[in-house]
Amino acid sequence: MSAELLKELAKVEKVMAYDAAPSARPSSSKKAPSQSIGSSLDSLLDSLREFKQGIEAGATSAEVVGLIARTVDEKKKEIDDRQKEVYNALGKLGKALDKKFPNALPEWQPVFTSPTSAAALDRTVALHLVRTGQFSTAATFVEESGVKLPDDFKTKFLSMHAILDALRRQDLAPALEWAAANRPFLEARGSRLEFCLHRSQYMRILFSSNPPNPVLGINYCKNFCQHLISAHEHEFQRLLTCTIFLPEERMRTSPYADLTDPSIHTELEGMLTQEFCAKLGMSKQLPLRVVGDIGAGGALSRIEKGRKVMRERKSEWSLSDELPIDIPLPPENRYHSIFACPVSKEQSTPSNPPMMMSCGHVVSKESLTKLTKPGGRVKCPYCPQESKESAALQVHF
Amino acid sequence: MSVNRLNMEGILLFEHPFARVPYENLRKAFRTSQKHIERELGAVAGKREDFDGAYDALDTLKTLEGMIARVESLKAKLNTLHTTTTAPTEYVLKQRLEHLAKLDGCSMRTDPAFEAWAATRLDRWLVDWALRTGRFDTARQIATEKGIESLCDVELFTDVRRIEEALARHSCAEALAWCTENKVALRKAKSSLEFELRLQEYIELCRAGRPFDAIAYARKHLRAWQDTHGDQIQRACALLCFSASTICKPYKRLYDASRWQTLIASFRSAVYELHGLPPLPLLSYAVHSGLSSLKVPACGGHESANVDCPVCDKTALGGLAHEVPSSHQVNSTIVCRISGKVMDGDNGPMAFPASGMVYSREALEEMAARNNGEVTCPRTGERVQFSELRKVFIS
Ligand SMILES: [Zn+2]
Ligand SMILES: [Zn+2]
Repeated sequence: MSAELLKELAKVEKVMAYDAAPSARPSSSKKAPSQSIGSSLDSLLDSLREFKQGIEAGATSAEVVGLIARTVDEKKKEIDDRQKEVYNALGKLGKALDKKFPNALPEWQPVFTSPTSAAALDRTVALHLVRTGQFSTAATFVEESGVKLPDDFKTKFLSMHAILDALRRQDLAPALEWAAANRPFLEARGSRLEFCLHRSQYMRILFSSNPPNPVLGINYCKNFCQHLISAHEHEFQRLLTCTIFLPEERMRTSPYADLTDPSIHTELEGMLTQEFCAKLGMSKQLPLRVVGDIGAGGALSRIEKGRKVMRERKSEWSLSDELPIDIPLPPENRYHSIFACPVSKEQSTPSNPPMMMSCGHVVSKESLTKLTKPGGRVKCPYCPQESKESAALQVHF
Repeated sequence: MSVNRLNMEGILLFEHPFARVPYENLRKAFRTSQKHIERELGAVAGKREDFDGAYDALDTLKTLEGMIARVESLKAKLNTLHTTTTAPTEYVLKQRLEHLAKLDGCSMRTDPAFEAWAATRLDRWLVDWALRTGRFDTARQIATEKGIESLCDVELFTDVRRIEEALARHSCAEALAWCTENKVALRKAKSSLEFELRLQEYIELCRAGRPFDAIAYARKHLRAWQDTHGDQIQRACALLCFSASTICKPYKRLYDASRWQTLIASFRSAVYELHGLPPLPLLSYAVHSGLSSLKVPACGGHESANVDCPVCDKTALGGLAHEVPSSHQVNSTIVCRISGKVMDGDNGPMAFPASGMVYSREALEEMAARNNGEVTCPRTGERVQFSELRKVFIS
């Protein structure tokens, strides 16, 4: 699709070129190749100057006048034809663009313009610039917008980006230092960061020794990884066993090929960023990216289609209500549990919470009451079991 | 999984203005070249008339010299137009189409090529947003540092800002010059912007107590709009009888300073329309629809907030959530409070027997493996053997 657009643009460039060789036409065409405007004008100038010299030399006749007029008309037509070609080529490009982008963004009234919303958006952008390490831009933005950021915020992210920069230079020391300093936090989260950092370092040591020297690796494990071995026993066994497949080329075709994958080193940046942000009590993904990728990943076009359908059905739906349709989300962008009662289809609320019957099936409290027969027994609509209403347990997701 | 497949229609909806802006600029460059050609070459062709009558060598020479000068001037104009406008615009359009072409090879959300493309997209949005909110230094700095100058419309918005500032200083000249530059396109779009600007200049003459100049101005500049704006012209002429301090409503309104704000807004929407730009920053569209896709009643709740959820962060994006509609979810989605994973058949929900607290099987199994088969609820502290947990069925 984009290839077609580029092709149409190339045609436009060709016919719009001011100075260029005549544009090649298919040989089947009988018409002469069209001249660039520059060369048409040049040849017009040449002719006019020739006429002038001729007249100055005295070789005059009234016929010259007719000749001049004819030359001017000829060249003017040549140029007009060329402009027509440009016009047509632009038109084709425009059509190709319309085909590729059939829908324009909707004509909404301004949003996020109230002082509180504008301030929240400014703050979001400032946080984004700092989190992504654009410190100088962030400073410019703070100056221009007057947004206030917590004092220590920048310092913290400066240190994070210093660690990341070192990682990119294959210097793991600052990352390891941070991981060691935050060991209890990382362990409580079941984080693999520290192990992965050491694994990366260990594999680099193995591969950089020439001829291969497994002892260097074994010493590294002994000296630096003792505290990790019990939690990652199996993986350490593999790390030590892989040494018998050195050098690197041989290991690539061994059962330990996964340890030669570059992602062992490249994944560290992302892991560290996640843990670092978690330690600061911040989201693991960039919020603006998350929201923007969802909005421009199909949500807006679905919402607009939904609105159109609603409008055709003449039902009212304003921007501030609930969305008219369900927007599919990737699992990692589901942040809250939603329980919709399979009987009533209604979402649970604090006054109508989800209740689990003895069989394990869950319905809303109101549905449970409706399903209860006199005598307090409930027949589960999803399995053959019957249980007592009073035995149902309220569950919390 | 289908949610990981890229929704190209949804993605391209946001790229409509991206290629449109340089394309419209290219068309404008073409119209300018056409104007030069018509004017200069038309004059050359017109000089042929001078040849009529008896042949005279001196007269013919003079006419020829005039023709040569015209053609040379046309050559210079077209050459300059091509190097300063057409070629750079073609370059920008090509850069943008090539940037879009990077999408052709992507089909999944998780493609590294798409990840990189989406990161640039956010940078572009931030530039667009900063330009529209008047943060020009920020916009320029992002564009330069990310090397995306040709993917952003810094120049266009800088020009818009220059003209808006002139209007804010109560000067119409800059906006009128822009109207002249874009006469054809404005006429096609049936825009009244030029009329409104002319009317303003007329009003200023009335305000200054210069009725003769005002009448002359109306004759020169307002009369041409008689067919479409007759009523307004009539009211404008009647304005001559009222001073700026009048309390007579329709005339008081014409003298009102707020008319300048309206002019700025009209000018802005005319520019946006001419360039195929949407009325709102792209970032606003994306954030608005993204936030509402995520917003659920549990967002920001004291106990239910999730630090990873953008809507829950009330100090940042969550501060915008009150402006957007809530999502509309028909099916149950149960998210594990320990692992953050969505529970499904392979990783089903399990409940603590007394408190009814539910977590995913995987997370509880992992906890049990570390604690000799014992699990503890992080919310209530309830402690049981893994085997005592109850399986939960969500249909
Ligand atoms: Zn059941
Ligand atoms: Zn939330």
